[in-house]
Amino acid sequence: MKKTHIALIVVIAILIGAMITAINDSSSYADFSEAFENPGEEFHVVGKLDKEKEMVYDPMTNPDLFVFHMTDINNEEHKVFLHKSKPQDFERSEQIVLIGKVENGEFHANEILMKCPSKYTDGEISEKAQASL
Amino acid sequence: MEYAGEHLFIGKLGNLFTILAFAFSLLSALAYFLAERKNDSTYLRIGRTAFWIHSLSVIGMVTVLFVMIFNQYFEYHYVWQHSNTDMPMKYIFSCFWEGVEGSFMIWTFWHVVLGMILMRSVGQWEAPVMSIIGSVQVFMVSMLLGTYFFDYRLGSNPFTMLLREHPDFQNLPLFQNPSYTEVIDGRGLNPLLQNYWMVIHPPLVLFGYATAIVPFAYAIAGLWRRNYLEWIKPAIPWTFFGIGVLGTGVLMGGAWAYESLSFGGFWAWDPVENSSLVPWLTMVGAGHLMLIQRNKGTSTFSVFLFTTITFCLVQYASFLTKSGVLGDSSVHSFTDLGMTGQLAISLGFFVVLSIVLILVNMKAFPKPEKEESIWSREFWMFVGALVLFVSSFQIGFSTSFPVINKIFGTDFAPSADRLEYYNRWQMPFAIVVALLVAITQFLKYSKTDPKTLLRNVVVSASISAIITIAVGVGMSMTNPFYLTMMFSASLATTANLDYWVRILNGKLKNAGASIAHIGFGLLLIGILISTSQSKIISANTSLYDISVLGDDFNNNENILLMQNDTLIMGDYFVCYKGKREEGYYVHYEVEYMKPNEQGELESVFTLYPFLQLNPRMGNVAEPYTRHYWHKDIYTHITYAEIEDREGKIKSEEHQIELGDTIFTRTSFMVFDSLDRSPSQRFGGLTPADLAVGAMFTMYDVDTKAHQLEPLFVLRNREYAMTVADSIPDLGIKISFEGIDPEKERFKFRVLEKAPKFNDFIVMKAIIFPGINILWIGCIVMALGTFFAMYSRLRRS
Repeated sequence: MKKTHIALIVVIAILIGAMITAINDSSSYADFSEAFENPGEEFHVVGKLDKEKEMVYDPMTNPDLFVFHMTDINNEEHKVFLHKSKPQDFERSEQIVLIGKVENGEFHANEILMKCPSKYTDGEISEKAQASL
Repeated sequence: MEYAGEHLFIGKLGNLFTILAFAFSLLSALAYFLAERKNDSTYLRIGRTAFWIHSLSVIGMVTVLFVMIFNQYFEYHYVWQHSNTDMPMKYIFSCFWEGVEGSFMIWTFWHVVLGMILMRSVGQWEAPVMSIIGSVQVFMVSMLLGTYFFDYRLGSNPFTMLLREHPDFQNLPLFQNPSYTEVIDGRGLNPLLQNYWMVIHPPLVLFGYATAIVPFAYAIAGLWRRNYLEWIKPAIPWTFFGIGVLGTGVLMGGAWAYESLSFGGFWAWDPVENSSLVPWLTMVGAGHLMLIQRNKGTSTFSVFLFTTITFCLVQYASFLTKSGVLGDSSVHSFTDLGMTGQLAISLGFFVVLSIVLILVNMKAFPKPEKEESIWSREFWMFVGALVLFVSSFQIGFSTSFPVINKIFGTDFAPSADRLEYYNRWQMPFAIVVALLVAITQFLKYSKTDPKTLLRNVVVSASISAIITIAVGVGMSMTNPFYLTMMFSASLATTANLDYWVRILNGKLKNAGASIAHIGFGLLLIGILISTSQSKIISANTSLYDISVLGDDFNNNENILLMQNDTLIMGDYFVCYKGKREEGYYVHYEVEYMKPNEQGELESVFTLYPFLQLNPRMGNVAEPYTRHYWHKDIYTHITYAEIEDREGKIKSEEHQIELGDTIFTRTSFMVFDSLDRSPSQRFGGLTPADLAVGAMFTMYDVDTKAHQLEPLFVLRNREYAMTVADSIPDLGIKISFEGIDPEKERFKFRVLEKAPKFNDFIVMKAIIFPGINILWIGCIVMALGTFFAMYSRLRRS
């Protein structure tokens, strides 16, 4: 067998390995019910901030904890614990993705992605500062 | 409604240029195609002229868009969307390429620049090469057409009027004004892009992307003519030029992220970053395979594969970032403009073209007569290219989850700890590549004596071992993987330095490759040290125990600093001194101090991390970094209250007897006695009033005593009124509201303003040691690459 062929076989083996681990290590998008059915497993939960419910961020006691309520795509709402500082402009977020897992019956997230209002759909028009005077 | 003051002519001019650019790229591709098929110089001349007109039209488009942005013609959608009057002029370039249309335009422009150079320099390859470039341009310009074919809008035109793009705006009050152009303002540039890096990084990456067209066009031309080898020689310098440009562009993106995004590092394995790194890796592979091919005549298939794949990956990168498919998974991709289908077709065309041409020709590729020796340079260079391929595949596959989900309906999400996930895979690849980079130089093409090789690397290996031990001990680096990588990266650096000094006698001639490889070694060392030894020195100092939730949630990374309090953070004492607002920016002053010999705190440096307030796109925190030669101290605000909190007033009623005490939040007051004739103190009282004063002694937190005397007054002995007394400094006001003579109880109301809320910030501070090695590595690698290209060009 040629050395090049051996090298190619090794390469293909690594490629397959990379694909398998990529899929194994991936987390998956889910809703709250799935996350709560599988405690300890990591999920990406997509949802919206519930602006009616209280948001607690008290940096005096813990700058790395922010508690708020999120409603997922099935309108299921849960109190969630984000172990990070409160993101800037959090209230303006349109959609959020929480990355975390259920521990002790509570959803704890390590990471948050926010989608802010798209500049393309927002129909607001502004005027030049001096001209509007 | 008739509007006045709209600049209609320039838009028409822009559209004219767009249509001309499209039509003439098509004509040029066709004419060159026919020139190749019929071997007719008339067609060649037509192709040339058409490409000239196409080029001038593209330049015209770019100019028109610049003029529009520069003059702030907000009646145009693109200008309105990406700029406004507040924006400093220096960011006008960032506006240009903030949108999909602008970035396509710049990319198209770079293709034109390269095309013009090639047209004169390719010689007998002109017809097929230019035909490929012309057809790529057809696809590129089609992204900017914005014309409708039945119901499908082809491309997105940057010269569209705002009202045409948004017909619903017609009902807005602003557009009832016929001369609305005088008052309308734009939406503004994303604050993240208002940064000097963003002026140069995007066009450089796009230029890097554009360079992939040259080897691609040559390779396709080679397949087309069934002349599989001759194109490689002229394509080599171009490929290395692309490696240098794209590499610099990608790393500059890292520098941008490090300097002005609060990622907390220079590389976050963000999908957009990944999609630009993936083609770079295959491009490096392609360049090295071409060298093997030129020297040994082997690896023909791989050369074609890597060259075409690089171009397709560049197209794929553009598909990923511009189609909006990354949406949720990336912080900085473009928004969907409804061009997904078109981008996919463009990508598919080049993928299919490459695959078909390679498959058809594969059988005829020249075969090497005998197998290469295991002690040959070409074998290990080939292995290196394969490792690069695997590395780029691993990154590319993981980045493609959103695409895989779209196609197969799965719901894979990237691993939450992206850094860990990618680093675990990429580190072994980096180790192998570094070892190959170190050793392969000493191998000769064909065959080398293993003993000579050993003799050549033994010195570098010993030095690298010493460096590794020194770093391991000095920085307490114990992870065996890190130490292995440290060793191999040091070996890559020292062995290439050795090769340059000893084998090339330190001469610059032919040293390009060695210099680039030295840079690569340094780059890896810098990445390893700055990433693995980075330390978050800000820590949660609260008493709240979060460890009950397990290590996963022990995000002990942020520190709360009250204004003017000094806290210990790592080796420093830090103090948040205050904030300063300046236009859209709020700068926070954070002083870093260290005790001197007398034990007094002395300021070492002051950092000004800031927040950019943008009412439309949200507030953005930007870091501020103190650079030392051996380490950086990086600080960014993670939370700050933008609006001052209003002090709330608490009101409380007390019914007490003489001698009782009233407690407030910050003080207490003792009801000492009654003053039955307080009239002299208060001018407002008349002799007819019956007044009683309640004498209080109040003690504040500093146990300072204050006297208070609220009055209860019966005016004209008929109706009751009160004269309150207060101590404004403490925010306390007390009024005497009534007397119950039977029970001898007195009624008071205490109003207490909450003490003025102290300003505070929550911030994160990270030390990155040795990050300068990384940047030096980048520069050395880029210089070496360009130098290698230059000497290759001079030789030929």
